[in-house]
Amino acid sequence: MASVNQDNVPGATGTAPSKKSQAPAKTADSQSVLKRLQSELMALMMGGDSGISAFPEEDNIFCWKGTINGSKETVFEGTQYRLSLSFPNDYPFKPPKVKFESFCFHPNVDVRGHICLDILQDKWSSAYDVRTILLSIQSLLGEPNTSSPLNPQAAQLWSNQEEYRKMVEKLYKPPNA
Amino acid sequence: MVSDSITNVSIPSAPKSARDLGKKKRARSAKLKQCKLDVRREQWLSSGAVVKKECKEEQNGGVQGRRERNSPREMGPREGENVGSIHHHHHHDSDLDSNSPSSFTSSVLGGHDSETFTGSSSSSSSSGDCCSGNITEEDEDDGCLDDWEAVADALAADEKPKNQNPEPQREHEAIAKSVPASQIENSKPQCARAMPKAWRPDDAFRPQSLPNLAKQLSLPNSSGKRFGGGVAWGCNSVVSPPSSCPICYEDLDLTDTSFLPCLCGFRLCLFCHKRILEGDGRCPGCRKPYENEPVEAETSVHGGSLTFRLPRSCSMITRS
Repeated sequence: MASVNQDNVPGATGTAPSKKSQAPAKTADSQSVLKRLQSELMALMMGGDSGISAFPEEDNIFCWKGTINGSKETVFEGTQYRLSLSFPNDYPFKPPKVKFESFCFHPNVDVRGHICLDILQDKWSSAYDVRTILLSIQSLLGEPNTSSPLNPQAAQLWSNQEEYRKMVEKLYKPPNA
Repeated sequence: MVSDSITNVSIPSAPKSARDLGKKKRARSAKLKQCKLDVRREQWLSSGAVVKKECKEEQNGGVQGRRERNSPREMGPREGENVGSIHHHHHHDSDLDSNSPSSFTSSVLGGHDSETFTGSSSSSSSSGDCCSGNITEEDEDDGCLDDWEAVADALAADEKPKNQNPEPQREHEAIAKSVPASQIENSKPQCARAMPKAWRPDDAFRPQSLPNLAKQLSLPNSSGKRFGGGVAWGCNSVVSPPSSCPICYEDLDLTDTSFLPCLCGFRLCLFCHKRILEGDGRCPGCRKPYENEPVEAETSVHGGSLTFRLPRSCSMITRS
């Protein structure tokens, strides 16, 4: 048990050794980030939110993979999207980088998966966590902001929900396929 | 694999990493605590006269058992002749030198209300493990906990840096005693929060019989002097603060729980608050910029603004 833990810490603090002068502070930071991420993981696993999930990649708790299910009664119903979350060393004071791994035809998601969502940029608050991020993105799916689109085609089509649904189905690739 | 490491980091049993992890922070918070403790101890010392009378009346019954347990501090034959007064003397001395943790642990266990009061004040430098040990065994003794829980919280942080060696092991034993082994394995998230401190009001493993803060506050306040010591009880009674910081998920200590930096009521620990002030300086709860002066205590404390201010100003000075 203990050795597992020991293995984990250096991996997580991998960026620290390059800056020797700040090593102690950096380590302390990384430790607290670690604690926070671990607690979030616990909360997420125990919380049982339907339609969202997230889990760290194999050996790096600073990189997570998440999934979001399209909400019912939206054009995204029945779809599931994979996302990646990458946490900075000063998380949660800075937001994680979140992007779609699977293609998502959405006005506020570009073709490379970048998401335009205020809480992931200037409206970030350290009180947000993975759970609230994923829930926010989930609700963004059904309620896009079409006035400043990353995907103009999707923004244009949004007014026609029937056509939009067809487009979603046509472009959708299940994550496990 | 990941969940393994999670359990390890958060539970005090993980010997090295868990300690190192919190060491720096604890060392800093220990300084904050020392301020408050010094003030409180002085007050207890000065209230010795009152305690003295109560002790005399109540102590004769329990002394015999206590003397046996206190054998390291065994005193001369005279003690047997005049138990009451000598015993008090013994306690009063200990207030001053307070160097025998074990004796105080046992005396608190067997103690009366008034005596525990003395005991806990003098155990300011006693071992941290008596916090968890005591409280798990002392479920029925409501009166003691009134004081003891408050002190234990503060002490747990205060003591860790000093007692390097035997503590982690013993702390773990204390926890293990109160938590069946099967639960440790099955309910990791709860274990992750089980820290070597006094029970928190919302702790999953907190024995039912422990008094809760709300109950205590409704009791007549027989010793008002306690409130001058910097424990902001009044604050707890109005809005029950979260038990851990929503930003770093570390447990909030007494100073943190009495810290209300923003009118919106969003609470966080002093470290995260400082960190945010160094950054954009906006409250995570409402995104409004923090005021330079934290919100005054009057919003949530009845007649306790002075009390409320003391720990905060202390800590601010220490930290900067």
